[in-house]
Amino acid sequence: MRVRLVVRTLSELCITVGAVIVLFVVYVLFWTGVKADDVMGEQIDQLQEQWSKGSVEQPKGTGGSQSSASPSAPAPYKKDKPFAIMYIPRLGFTWNKPVLEGTGVGTLKKGLGHYARTAQLGQEGNFSVAGHRRTYGDPFKDFPKLRRGDAVVLTDGTTWFTYRIDKGPYKTVPTDVEVIDPVPRKSGYQRSGRYLTLTTCDPEWGHSHRLIVWAHLDSTQPVEAGKPEALRR
Amino acid sequence: MYGWIWRHLPGNAWVKALLSLVLALAVVYVLFQYVFPWAEPLLPFNDVTVDNQ
Repeated sequence: MRVRLVVRTLSELCITVGAVIVLFVVYVLFWTGVKADDVMGEQIDQLQEQWSKGSVEQPKGTGGSQSSASPSAPAPYKKDKPFAIMYIPRLGFTWNKPVLEGTGVGTLKKGLGHYARTAQLGQEGNFSVAGHRRTYGDPFKDFPKLRRGDAVVLTDGTTWFTYRIDKGPYKTVPTDVEVIDPVPRKSGYQRSGRYLTLTTCDPEWGHSHRLIVWAHLDSTQPVEAGKPEALRR
Repeated sequence: MYGWIWRHLPGNAWVKALLSLVLALAVVYVLFQYVFPWAEPLLPFNDVTVDNQ
């Protein structure tokens, strides 16, 4: 009788642990994506609402810069808040994600994260952004498909910024902080300029390496001028 | 374990079955809402930056 009870309890525990593991896989593969799509949509809605208001009255927040062709230095981004939308046609014509300030774990659940100490969008320096390869909506799942010449388009509500990829995907180690330097050495850029760096993890489900692409600012245009060519079909 | 729970639930078989279902759903809710969000960052999928913030 005793033995039977022990064996039964043990098997019940094993089945329970198995069920929890299956549920966890469902959570990681599926549920984080559902949650992230929801939250990212919310962030984009929030931005668009902010911008639509900004065009009427002069805002003092993120949309503060004038809508002239040459953007003046914008106000510092608020931590954990969205300030731009990124479009990468190569990752899908409908691919667009909010960019938030900071690269904390919580921030990256809501969108792409801007390395706080790097340059601001469109400014001199290296505007660097990190994003999930897998889980939380898989934003950078197709990162290895990026090629030289691909467009990375961003908007901050007043200006469209079109960056063109020059190099990548470049594989490096997680401690290689140099890749987000103002003039990243391994990118091949020689002098200072307006650059963009994207980082994600590699392999897809691992964390042993990072994948990097570098791009330079190719053109800017005010939002009134319509979508940039890279986004037109 | 499950037999013990079943024996300690009140009511007839139908009520017990209903209560078990509610309990199971509650467990799944707690797992998805609290336990998994805590456990998930311990896995490597979150390491996408180069300065490890």
